[in-house]
Amino acid sequence: MRDVTRREFLRYSGAGGVALGVGGLPGLAAAEEKLKIGVVYVSPIAEIGWTKQHSLGVEAIKAELGDKVEITVLDNIFMPQDAERVFRELAASGNKLIFGTSFSHGTPMQKVAPRFPETAFEHCSGIVHLANLGTFEAKYYEGTFVAGAAAGHMTKTGKIGFIGGFPIPDIVGPANALLLGAQSVKPEITCNAIFLNSWFDPGKEKEAANTLVSQGCDVICSMTDTPTGVQVAGEKGAWSIGYASDMSKFGSGKHLTAFMLDWSRDYVGAAKAVAAGTWKPEVRWDGLAAGVVKMAPYNEAIPADVREKLKQLETDIGSGKVHPYTGELKDQDGNVKVAAGSVLSDPDIRGMNWFVQGMIGNLG
Amino acid sequence: MDLFVAIFTGTVIAATPLIFAALGELVVEKSGVLNLGIEGMMLVGAAFAFWAVVAGLPMPLAILAGALAGAAASLLFGVLALTFLTNQYAAGLALAIFGSGVSAFLGRNFGSEPIDGLKPLAIPLLSDIPVLGPLLFRYDPLVYLAILSFVAIAWFLSRTKGGLILRTIGESPEIAHAIGYPVVKIRYWAVLFGGLMAGLGGAYLSVAYTPLWVENMTAGKGWIALALVVFATWRAYRVLLGAWLFGGMTILQLQGQALGLAVPSELLSALPYLATIVVLVIISQNRQMLAEHFPASLAKPFRPTV
Repeated sequence: MRDVTRREFLRYSGAGGVALGVGGLPGLAAAEEKLKIGVVYVSPIAEIGWTKQHSLGVEAIKAELGDKVEITVLDNIFMPQDAERVFRELAASGNKLIFGTSFSHGTPMQKVAPRFPETAFEHCSGIVHLANLGTFEAKYYEGTFVAGAAAGHMTKTGKIGFIGGFPIPDIVGPANALLLGAQSVKPEITCNAIFLNSWFDPGKEKEAANTLVSQGCDVICSMTDTPTGVQVAGEKGAWSIGYASDMSKFGSGKHLTAFMLDWSRDYVGAAKAVAAGTWKPEVRWDGLAAGVVKMAPYNEAIPADVREKLKQLETDIGSGKVHPYTGELKDQDGNVKVAAGSVLSDPDIRGMNWFVQGMIGNLG
Repeated sequence: MDLFVAIFTGTVIAATPLIFAALGELVVEKSGVLNLGIEGMMLVGAAFAFWAVVAGLPMPLAILAGALAGAAASLLFGVLALTFLTNQYAAGLALAIFGSGVSAFLGRNFGSEPIDGLKPLAIPLLSDIPVLGPLLFRYDPLVYLAILSFVAIAWFLSRTKGGLILRTIGESPEIAHAIGYPVVKIRYWAVLFGGLMAGLGGAYLSVAYTPLWVENMTAGKGWIALALVVFATWRAYRVLLGAWLFGGMTILQLQGQALGLAVPSELLSALPYLATIVVLVIISQNRQMLAEHFPASLAKPFRPTV
């Protein structure tokens, strides 16, 4: 991998902030046959969390294709206006496959992609597809449903807590599935939800976890990008559920499991397809079956027979035998949203903007 | 009652990093210097303190390391703004960006290390009193240090000769200079003290409040501290009240959300800021109150002529 040293130098010397782009880089005399790939991260590559999991996807490409590829990585590109410049530069400098890794990269990618019809664009958590823009996304709700079942077995108070970034369908849906998983064990369980209305604020996340514990929640699931929720729950003696990466080392032994993300299949698949000239824009939306969502090792404190059940549940969801959103599902006001025996349709899952019965919180 | 205790203690703890940073900035501004770089100094302090803990230093030394790192960062601003008389707004902003970059660079290698955070003091007997014990006597040492530094700074500014000199320099550096006080030197000390306090606030975040390192973990607290000084109309006790008000509103909105109040979470999240604006509007009604403690030479460069 080529390190973009000039950009990093500027960033760390504080002179330029983010997204100076790669325009001024000296053109590397790359061998003709090498496939050039550009990847844009939304945050720095930390040791855990969202961007770390994407970097594992890039590692997987390198492991699989080795020196047949040349990968340029730009990190900490969050603002759409910066991202647009970066995507255009990447495409103009000959990258044939470009990954955007955040919802906020969507609009700039949609603007840039039509101007470079020969370049393949892949957008994680995107919703818009173009002739050369494909998307990939994870079925988080499958993971939270299993995690919820684990929580349902372990909760004493019958109250679990959920911390999310923003009240958007990608987060509201998994929160619902968490509760439904718990209710599949004990139907009377409720779930208090807090939205930070920020992608990133460890202090607020700590206070949110404290708040949930003080209101009697004894399992905390934190769908944010830091291990703070897991850490605070552990300090307060509550169980925790991590997101994106295995966060057990932050959980003081109270980390039940985590629903982890593994994008390697999407990364390697796209790279191979572009190299072979067979790439087409696809809508990939996978979960436990494809291994895009994986459960972190279960806490030993969970009884062995329960752990077996949870593993079985993973298999059953993967095979389609169990669907997290199986009716009858009611919303907070008791209106039937999914009739008994049927399941929520895929578009309805991706647009979920309502809480199931038993969720305590307000979506406005 | 448990809920009240949770809200009260949560408020006190959430306000602590703001109290450190804002009191430091109060002293800086009272000397007539505006340092906008609090966010950067806090981040540098947070990174160094965390680094020191990972390296195995005992907790008090690690916190000291964070504070000193904040002071060192402020020196950069000091040289630019006080020696080379650059625009203080620009120099402060540069420090904010620089600090965020430097701390990110330092933090690259220890991002995944979990550490044991600063433990609360269990004051014998006192912490066992029902209700009052958990309310007042079970915080970590830095919470008490924040209150102590408030008392010390309030006393220094209003009751000591040193405080009078500092305020004079902030009002009219020319007069202070004419009387024979070393204006630039005293301003340097004020800036260094501001950096020390911001570093301490940052250290509190990374080793006590949320004992971990993540890039930009201050998440804007440095800017809030800056706003608190204006909010407090340059009075120490109002800094303390403002920090508690802001912390309290943050905790209350989270409690409200978790209880399922029929108010959208976006609106609840905006509450601390709304409350701040409301108080500012009320304060602004009284021109005299606003002007009374404002350091008249704030952000104006001063070069001794003789």
